[in-house]
Amino acid sequence: MVPFLQEMKTRLGDNDDFIVQRVFLLDSPVILMGFKSMLDFVQTKSNLLEYIEQSFPEGKTIDEVIKQLSNSGTIGIEEAISAITAGNLLIYDEKTKQRAIVNPVSRLLTRSIESPTTENILHGGISSFNEDIDTNIGMMRKQFNSSHLETKLYSCGSMQKSRLAVLYIKDQIDMKLVKQVVSKIESNLDKELNHTQDVSKMMGFYSKELIPKFNTTELPQEAVNALRKGRIVLFLDRLPFALVLPSLLWDMFIHDNDKNLPPPITVALRMLRLLGVLVTLIMPGLYVALVSVNPEVLRIELALSIAQSREGVPYPAFIEIVLMLIVLEMTLEASVRLPASIGPTVTMVGGIILGQAVVTAQLVSNLLIIILAVTTIANSTVVGVQNSLAIRFFKYVIVVLASIFGVFGIVSAVVFVCAYLAGVNTFGISYLYIPRTEKVGGNHE
Amino acid sequence: MLKKAASLILISLFAGMLSGCWDNRDINHRALPVTMGVSMKGDNYNVLLLIPEPVENTTRIRLVKGEGKTVTEAIDTISRDMESFVDMLHMKVVVFDKALAERGLMDSISGFMRARDISPKVIVVITDDEINQFFKRSQKTMAPEGTTLYDCFEKDAGWNPEIALTRVWEVYRSIHSYTRDVAIPIIQAGTKTMIEHNGSAIIKNGRMVGRISSEETLLMNAFSGESSYGKVEVMNHASVLIVSNTFRNSSKVVDRTPYMNSKIILKVSLLETRENTNADLIREELEKVLTLRCDAVIEKMKANEADVLGLGQFFRNKLPRNELQHWRTEYLPRLKMNFEVRTIIQNEGNLKMPS
Repeated sequence: MVPFLQEMKTRLGDNDDFIVQRVFLLDSPVILMGFKSMLDFVQTKSNLLEYIEQSFPEGKTIDEVIKQLSNSGTIGIEEAISAITAGNLLIYDEKTKQRAIVNPVSRLLTRSIESPTTENILHGGISSFNEDIDTNIGMMRKQFNSSHLETKLYSCGSMQKSRLAVLYIKDQIDMKLVKQVVSKIESNLDKELNHTQDVSKMMGFYSKELIPKFNTTELPQEAVNALRKGRIVLFLDRLPFALVLPSLLWDMFIHDNDKNLPPPITVALRMLRLLGVLVTLIMPGLYVALVSVNPEVLRIELALSIAQSREGVPYPAFIEIVLMLIVLEMTLEASVRLPASIGPTVTMVGGIILGQAVVTAQLVSNLLIIILAVTTIANSTVVGVQNSLAIRFFKYVIVVLASIFGVFGIVSAVVFVCAYLAGVNTFGISYLYIPRTEKVGGNHE
Repeated sequence: MLKKAASLILISLFAGMLSGCWDNRDINHRALPVTMGVSMKGDNYNVLLLIPEPVENTTRIRLVKGEGKTVTEAIDTISRDMESFVDMLHMKVVVFDKALAERGLMDSISGFMRARDISPKVIVVITDDEINQFFKRSQKTMAPEGTTLYDCFEKDAGWNPEIALTRVWEVYRSIHSYTRDVAIPIIQAGTKTMIEHNGSAIIKNGRMVGRISSEETLLMNAFSGESSYGKVEVMNHASVLIVSNTFRNSSKVVDRTPYMNSKIILKVSLLETRENTNADLIREELEKVLTLRCDAVIEKMKANEADVLGLGQFFRNKLPRNELQHWRTEYLPRLKMNFEVRTIIQNEGNLKMPS
C-alpha cells in the first residue's frame, strides 16, 4: 500500500528530523518511522530486535509479530501521525500493509524531580512536580497509596494535543462536582490547552475575576491533602504544578506542612499569615488616611513626629505612596525576571535608592519607607505566590478610598474586598467555604 | 461591554469630584495646637494657642495670640495669619482665666460642644495667673514637645488622684444637669515644675463659685470611682497606703429631707508606724480623719449650693422631675449625710503588724 507510505511522507516529510528507515526484522524488510529528536533510534532498534528474539518462538513470521505488537487492529493514518508526533515509533510492513505502534526508547526531554522553585518548604517533603504529566500522576500515587485514588486522562485540543488528568478520591469527593468537571471537559475536548487560563475557559469560568479559580501547588503533599479534603486535582501536561479545584480563601493561610510542627505553633503561624494579609491590605491605606485625612486619630506625639518626617515633602501623601508602591512593584517584578546572577544588583540598587536616597532627597518621608517595607514583608507571608497577587492588587483599592474618605474609606474598602471575596464561587462552592469535615461541597447545585 | 466600562470610569470620576477630597490637608500643613488659653479682655475673647512645631530634629513651641468677639473668631484670626491651617482636633487642654471662670464658661463650653472643632474630651483647667503670664512662664519650663501640660492630666502619665479631671463634655453636662456639678483643677505657673496645683474650683452651672483643697478633691475623685490607689495618708501614729476603696451608698427622702448613708470601705497597708501604736488605734484615727474631711466637703457643698460629688444622682429616682430642679437650692442644704468609714488593714509584705 504505497499510498500509506506516500501519505506519511507528504504529511511529515517536511520535517528534517522525521526518519523513515528500512530495516530487516526476522529476515523481512519493514519500515520504521519516527522523530529522531524524540526517540533514540539506535537504542530502540536493538531493543526491538532483542525483544522479538526473546518473546516470540522461533519460526514466527514478521507478519505475526506485527500483529502481536499492534493489538488495536488496523491503524488509520491520523492515528499513526498523532502517535508519531507524541514520540512513538511506527513499524510498517510493506508487504502485508501491517502497522504497529511501539513504545520506543525516548530521549530524556524532562528534568528529573527537583525541589520546588516557588514554594519553599521548611519542614516537609521537598520533591515537586515537573513538566511530565505521567511523573506527576505517579508522584501523586506514591504520596497517596490507595486504590481509592481515581485518575481520568483526556487528550484535548484539535491542532495541538495536550493531555489533561483529573484526579480525585472516590469516597471523599462529592460526585456531583466530579460530574460537572468531567462534563465540562468532555464537551470542550477540542479546545487547545496551554495555560491555566485555557483550563479556566474550558471550565466555563468568568474570565475577569481577580481570584484564581484554581489553587496551584508544586508539592505532591499539598495536592494530596487537597484530594483528601474532597477537592479535585487537575494536571495539564507541561505545567509543573497541580491545579486544585475549587480554590478556597484558606489556601492562603494553611499549608499542610504546618502540621509537621506542634499544634500551637501551627495555629500561631496561620494567625501570623492572617495578620500579614491584613497588614498588607491596610497599612498603605492607613498611612494615607492618617497623614492626610484623619490626623486627629493619631496621638499627639506620633502626629508631631510624622509631621516632622514629612517636613519638606512636596507631594501629597496619596501621590507619594502610589509612586513608591509602583517602584516597589517594579522591583518585585524585576527580581523575578532577572537571572539569579544579576538579581542581587537590583536588590542592592533598589535598597539604596528606595531606602536612603529618596528620603535624603526629601521626596518621601521616612515613615513611608517603613510602611513600604512592612507591607512588602507582610505580603510575602501568604502561602503561594499566586495568592499574594490578588492581595497586592486589592491594596490599591484601599489606598484610593483611604485618600478620599480617610479611615472610613479603609473600612468601606475592606467591606468591599470582603464582599468581592464572598461573591466568588466555583461550581457553587463559595470561595470563603471552610471545609469543616473531610468533604467539600454538598451545598452546590 | 463598552457601556459598562464607561459607566465604571464615570462612577470613579464622581468619587473624586464629589467627595471634596481636595480639601484634605497633609499633616505637615496643619498646625496642631495642644493647649488653648482663653480669657476675657473687655468684651473680647483673648485666645492663646500653644503650637508645637517640628524644626530640624526637635520641636519648637510657638505661642500665638488672637482676639475676637467669639472664641471661634479669635481662632480664625490666628488661622488667617498663620502659614498653615489650624487644626483644633488635637487640642488636649483648655485653660481658662479665673476671672472668666467666675464670669461664666457657658458660652465657650457650649460653643466647643456644638462646633465640634474641639474634641469634647479636652481637659478643662482654670489658672490663677493672668493668662499671658501663665503661658509665658510655663513655656520656659516646658519640654520641647509641648505636651507637658497635657501629661500632667493624663492618667497614664502625671495624673494623681488629688487632681480633678474634668472634660469639656462633663462641664457641658453639668451646665444642663439639675443634680450634678463639677470641679475643675486650678493651676498656676510654677518655678521648678511647670505648673503648681492649687486645689479645684467648684463649678456650678458653668460658673466658678468656690474652691476645694487638694485633699477634698481626692475625696471627690474617690467618691466618683476614680482610683485613689497609691495615696499615702499620714496621721499622728502612722502613715498608710490606700490600696483600694469602695463606696456603698443608700439614699431616701423623708418629708422633703434627703437622707443619705455612705459606707466607705478602705483597704490600707501600713507603711510606717510610731511606737505604742496598734491596729485599732490606726483604724480609729483614719476613720476619724476621713469622716471629718467628708463632712467638711459636704458643708462646703451646702454653703455653695453646688453638688460636686453628684449626690443628687442618687435622688433622681426618689424625687419627681419638677422637684429635682430645686435640688441644689432646697434639698441639698437640708441633706443629712452620714459617712461610715470602715478600714481594713491588710499588711502583706510591707510592715509587720503591730499587735
